[in-house]
Amino acid sequence: MSDVFAGFLLARPSGVPVLLRRDPGVKTFRITVLWRRPIGPMHAARAMLPALLQHGTRAHANRPALARARERLFSANVGMGFSRHAEQSVLRLSADAVSASFLPGEPDQFGSVQELMLEQATRSRLLAPGLPLEVFERERAQALADARAIKEDRGRQARLSAVLQACQGEPYGVPEHGGEAAISAVAMPDPPAALRDFLQHGEMTVLLAGALPDEPERKLLPFLTSLPTSRPEPLLPPVQPPLRQARTIRETAPMQQAKVVLVLRAPVPDSPARLCALQVAMSLWGGGPHSRLFTEVREKRSLCYYASAGGDADKGLLLVQSGCGADSVAAVGEESMRQLAEIGAGRFSAAELATSIAVSQGPLRSIDDAPGARLSYTAEQFLRGFDETPEQRIASLGAVGREAVCEAASAIWLDVDYALLPEGGP
Amino acid sequence: MSFVTVRDPVVGEEVLLATTRSGLRVRVLPRPRLRETAAVFTFGYGSVDLVFDAGDGVVATPAGTAHYLEHKLFEDEELAVFQRFSARGARVNAQTGFSRTSYFFQCAQQFDENLRDLLRLVAKPHITAENVEKERGIIAQEVRMYEDAPDQCATFSLLGAMYDRHPVRHTIGGTVESIGEITAERLLQAYDAFYRTGNAGLAIAGPVDPEAVLAIVEECMLRSGPGPARADVADFGVPASARVERTLQVVRPKVLVGLKEREPRASTYERVRRASATGVVLDRLFAASSDLREGMQQRGEFDDSLGAGYMGEKGFGFATIGCDTDDPARAEGAIRAMLSVDANFDDEQLERLRRRSIGSFVRSCEHVRALASAHAAEALEGDETFIGMRALQSLTTADVATRRERIVRDENLAVCVVRQA
Repeated sequence: MSDVFAGFLLARPSGVPVLLRRDPGVKTFRITVLWRRPIGPMHAARAMLPALLQHGTRAHANRPALARARERLFSANVGMGFSRHAEQSVLRLSADAVSASFLPGEPDQFGSVQELMLEQATRSRLLAPGLPLEVFERERAQALADARAIKEDRGRQARLSAVLQACQGEPYGVPEHGGEAAISAVAMPDPPAALRDFLQHGEMTVLLAGALPDEPERKLLPFLTSLPTSRPEPLLPPVQPPLRQARTIRETAPMQQAKVVLVLRAPVPDSPARLCALQVAMSLWGGGPHSRLFTEVREKRSLCYYASAGGDADKGLLLVQSGCGADSVAAVGEESMRQLAEIGAGRFSAAELATSIAVSQGPLRSIDDAPGARLSYTAEQFLRGFDETPEQRIASLGAVGREAVCEAASAIWLDVDYALLPEGGP
Repeated sequence: MSFVTVRDPVVGEEVLLATTRSGLRVRVLPRPRLRETAAVFTFGYGSVDLVFDAGDGVVATPAGTAHYLEHKLFEDEELAVFQRFSARGARVNAQTGFSRTSYFFQCAQQFDENLRDLLRLVAKPHITAENVEKERGIIAQEVRMYEDAPDQCATFSLLGAMYDRHPVRHTIGGTVESIGEITAERLLQAYDAFYRTGNAGLAIAGPVDPEAVLAIVEECMLRSGPGPARADVADFGVPASARVERTLQVVRPKVLVGLKEREPRASTYERVRRASATGVVLDRLFAASSDLREGMQQRGEFDDSLGAGYMGEKGFGFATIGCDTDDPARAEGAIRAMLSVDANFDDEQLERLRRRSIGSFVRSCEHVRALASAHAAEALEGDETFIGMRALQSLTTADVATRRERIVRDENLAVCVVRQA
């Protein structure tokens, strides 16, 4: 018995949602398994999982052996990833591979990548008492080095600092790597415990898309039943702070170009229509070279090299980011907020609205060219609970009117005005 | 005008080759099952083309001129290039490299209008003293942004050590000082010399009708003729400096080892073969699948920041191997030791790399921009197709061993060490 969600067949073998869409018109397929847990104290150990799980399985003795196994599968990308969705940690086991019918000898790619996925999830050296302490210590040192290296990308450093200070006290206010102190405190038993926690208590979702073989559900079943049974624990909605006075934060670093980050808040969209209105408003404000931030802040006033707006709608957190001269920081911030107010007041042309809609629709029109893009879209809609196909979303975007854009823009408020300034500058 | 049809060697999809009446080499990849179309227009003009014959004499231009010109072509009299593409739901952009500048768009509707606009963009420059001046501040900010990127600074320090004469040592965008010397006259002079049909390649991939595409391309008003004669900078000697040290704002010191290409110029196919063979050498020693690398990491000689790559173009070529480290001397010693280690190349490794390459190739067939970019670059160079795949397929372990013997030599080596400020 199966249902349909956003154009995917939806079945629930053993209670786990499996979303599936075959597309014989493409050449690759993708399998993704997601486990979701609230962002919590195990964050640093969780963030180390993708690297630690590279260090071998029962069948592939170490990291080079695992890498060679992937290469032999015509460079199938099989592995674990770690990210966040609003205030949830997401562990992602995925495979992205070329379909057998496009390869010499038509090898069983679908079966082989599932085997490799299973190896990494359930037969990893991390779970067995086989991972040497020095490998763990090496990966912990690497995680710490990577966290510190963010400072070599000043834009990323500014964004991280701004978001952490804006979201202090919220689950979101933890860096994706967990934080330097937390990484240092991770002990050898923590990452395997974090993996078991995901597999046993995570909200699990499975998605498949692309050039899948015949009867993919049947061929996937042994893989699914080999994964540990999950007894998911509840997930919480994201924390949204009440409207408050905007804070101005200025930090310095030895560098040439100042980085401006405006952290803004917006209500989390509770329907596809509200999500579309927010998306169009953001497109109009700073979603590309057609936007007000590009045309007014960069082109007309030459205040910066780049200025754009984007963010995490599922958290209700939006960001304006710009790189500019230190003497332009205030002007960039003021002009950006003035442009948002203009949009909120409806002072934009019909052509600007139509362009912002067209730009928002553009990627959706070709989303079926690559299975990965369609799968990511569907996963996102499933986690939100918005049952819309890309075609329906294109129509919803097309229906966004001036009033909806004004309403969405007017509900956005500035929480933190942050800038990272060159040391010794004005 | 008719097409010559070739098929790719892996999945057998069509590539149609034609040359327009004005001499522009065009490739069309009709892909009726895809929804998106990409067009890439590539010119043989990059950051290294600083000195050239402008017709009435040889001119020397400041570093960053090709990149500045790329910015200016996005400005027309209506000041609405980006807006026009965006209104059609298309994404348009451009990129300048060492040897090429490319203009491209992707769209899922109104392809004909977008293509006409792209052709107009590159054929009708709107460059005035005023708009050149207006752009200077924006480009200066871009230059500053890259000056804050330590990896980029380290790479160009290494290139400066390897090449004391070849302009590959200059950053692609130039410096704030060099772009200060760029004027509307210089940009127009460069445009006239390099933006010619004989110095360009155009590729279009997606659900298009090839004949209709060619009819539009024939309308292109780009001037005909070849590109200019460039200064022949023969810089194939030993590296100018075997070692350079810099102090930058880094979290950890960096070590970057370079191996300079010393062989005389070669055909496009030979350069691609060299790149393939060098890639196999670097892979054997430094990739995640290398037991040699894993052993060195276990001993703490370097960490996961280690990376290696190769670039080979007309007039220059180099391999780089680098990492971040707390102990630069130890990491440098480890990289040198790896380069001289007794490592065999076997058929199993070559077969794995061929499989990897086939996998990447099939994947690229789902991305129209990747397809069009690769074919525009090949079209610019000439008529050969799929040379990368052919080069890799033809490699033997003996070729790889020979290649290693030729490039991995002490006299080819230069080192850049970046220390913390």
